[in-house]
Amino acid sequence: MSLKGYILRRTIYIVPIMLAITLMNFTLINISPGDPVLVRLGLIKCETPECYNAAYNKEAIEMGLLDNSLYTVPWFERYIDFVNDLLHFDLGKSWSYTQAGEGIPISKIIGDHAVYTVVLNLLSFVLSLLLSTAIGVVSATRQNSFWDRTLTVAMLLGYSMPLFWLAKLLMLVSYYLFNFTGVANKSAFNKPLILNPMFYKFLILPTLSLTLGGLVFMARLIRSQLLEILRQDYITTAKSKGLDRRAVIYKHAFRNGLLPIVTIIGNSLPGLLSGSVMVESVFGWPGLGTIFLEAAFMRDYPMMMATNTIFPFLFLIARLLTDITYVFIDPRIKY
Amino acid sequence: MATVDKKAVEEEGPILDETTLKEIESMKGAGQWSIVWRRLKKDTMGMVGLYIVTFLILMAIVSWFLLMYDKWLFNNVALTRDPDNPYSLANLYVDFWLPGMKEPIILFQHPEWQFADQVKLPPSIEHPFGTDKNGRDMFSRVFFGATISMALGFIGQMTTVIIGTILGSLSGYYGGLFDDILQRIVELLYSMPGFILLVFVIVLFENTNIPGGRYAVVVIFFSLISWGGTALIVRSNFFSLKQQDFVEAEKALGAADMRIIFRHILPNSLAPLIIIITLGIAGTIFTFAALAFYGFGDPNVVSWGDDLNRWQNDLMTYPWMPMFPALMIFFTVLGFNLLGDALRDALDPRLKD
Repeated sequence: MSLKGYILRRTIYIVPIMLAITLMNFTLINISPGDPVLVRLGLIKCETPECYNAAYNKEAIEMGLLDNSLYTVPWFERYIDFVNDLLHFDLGKSWSYTQAGEGIPISKIIGDHAVYTVVLNLLSFVLSLLLSTAIGVVSATRQNSFWDRTLTVAMLLGYSMPLFWLAKLLMLVSYYLFNFTGVANKSAFNKPLILNPMFYKFLILPTLSLTLGGLVFMARLIRSQLLEILRQDYITTAKSKGLDRRAVIYKHAFRNGLLPIVTIIGNSLPGLLSGSVMVESVFGWPGLGTIFLEAAFMRDYPMMMATNTIFPFLFLIARLLTDITYVFIDPRIKY
Repeated sequence: MATVDKKAVEEEGPILDETTLKEIESMKGAGQWSIVWRRLKKDTMGMVGLYIVTFLILMAIVSWFLLMYDKWLFNNVALTRDPDNPYSLANLYVDFWLPGMKEPIILFQHPEWQFADQVKLPPSIEHPFGTDKNGRDMFSRVFFGATISMALGFIGQMTTVIIGTILGSLSGYYGGLFDDILQRIVELLYSMPGFILLVFVIVLFENTNIPGGRYAVVVIFFSLISWGGTALIVRSNFFSLKQQDFVEAEKALGAADMRIIFRHILPNSLAPLIIIITLGIAGTIFTFAALAFYGFGDPNVVSWGDDLNRWQNDLMTYPWMPMFPALMIFFTVLGFNLLGDALRDALDPRLKD
């Protein structure tokens, strides 16, 4: 099968998975205890039960739980409605983010904030990939040297450090050294972002934390992967041919080690997204992660549903991209 | 006629050097576990991990017993209750008393008791880890917090591994439709970032009334979400083991499927399970601490993660309040990671670099 056919097939395969994920989330919300209408109503002031009932019914109809003649709408009809809205990029209205008494449409909120998450994640992903490759190569080629031991211990310590605490410690260090905590304030997000120096200033610490978080994970794996390959016979052959050390490592060892490394990186992507939720929240970075955690605190069901649809979608796209890179790395793989 | 020059062979000496020979000699007749233990003992980092883990487990057990004993003492032995002294009516300290002793020995300040005159004290001899904003001794909180933090890690990981093992072994042994369905479910669970899914589920179900409070909900959903990895590893192990001769022999003898699975194949795939458990406990403790850090724990419980959540914003002004719980989490995760890595090398030397 051709590459195009493979990509098409994989892209289409995302659809049933996304359907299953949304169905799972939807079911979880539906079977959870508590009445979402009561959550939505909050502390409404009513003197008579009639007034309260009217408010309750109005809210329930607006949320789509009751139809106009006050009958309960079955859950599968609501799910079909949800999917239908999703296909039109309509994710409903937020409960907690309001403007003039009306909920702000979620697609607008997510559209405004997704760029921060994407910038942060892409930047730290590329940085941690480059740095961990460098560290992996240094420690694998000079096994048991001073640098290898130091780096291995440092990686182990970093690996055992909870990411949120690493972010907090970075904040503390930066506070003592530069009197700068890195907690984002409004001036950082004045548009246009590209020309805003404050944006870059406040981007430094979150990127650094997330990079370190991914780095310690990947560098260990790259090191052990390279060590395994350096023991192979063809490396000995290449060395005994009198090839340059650099050529042996980068042309023979590294290219063959890339495939398992790419697999590992593809599997570590959900960890990166989880990590970005943690780091964003510590630094008040207004990305999707912060929005998700705030929505979770406010029990903002539509918002949680929306973020829980976006995150797996981002992850599935990223995994699709890693799978496609296989083809370019390994010429033996044919689809 | 070609003859072997016997003298030359004798002069060359044994092919292996003496230490290796001794090692081989000492391994003779030793069981698998004693060999593993010997390999582990040689691994310095692994032994450091083992010491840390043993210390922490002992600490968790001792603190649990002390707190229970103190509760019992306070409720049943009216030693300290002096009606003229109102302070003696409250359980201010964790004490230790044995029959025959006149006065109980005061060991710790009670972790939940607040002293209004001892607020925000930096570390000193009286309070080695300082006191928090409510006047509770941080040393006592950290010591008695070990119980919940460690127990949650153990229970969460063990439940996960048990679910994963059962499902993985059934699907690996029988294959077919069950295996297909299981694979799809694992794929589904793995396409969600775990932490996000966990927060989502816990927010929805945190008000469920089940014994054990919020942490019971956390443990249940954690194990329902994260059994996939164990199931996949056990399944692949079963695929390779069920073709072996000893399974054929069992079948020929007429053994029941369950007997073959749980008495014969499963013990043979114990090594990866031990590694999963050890490394997994580190991950579980980290996940629960992260949940507590972001406010999805139980604030009424004495645990490291919840203390960390409570004082996280005081890091700049009163660094000792969040620092010590965080250090304990760090050491626990470090210890289990070191031990897990060493165990992996000891159980399967092929994986060693």
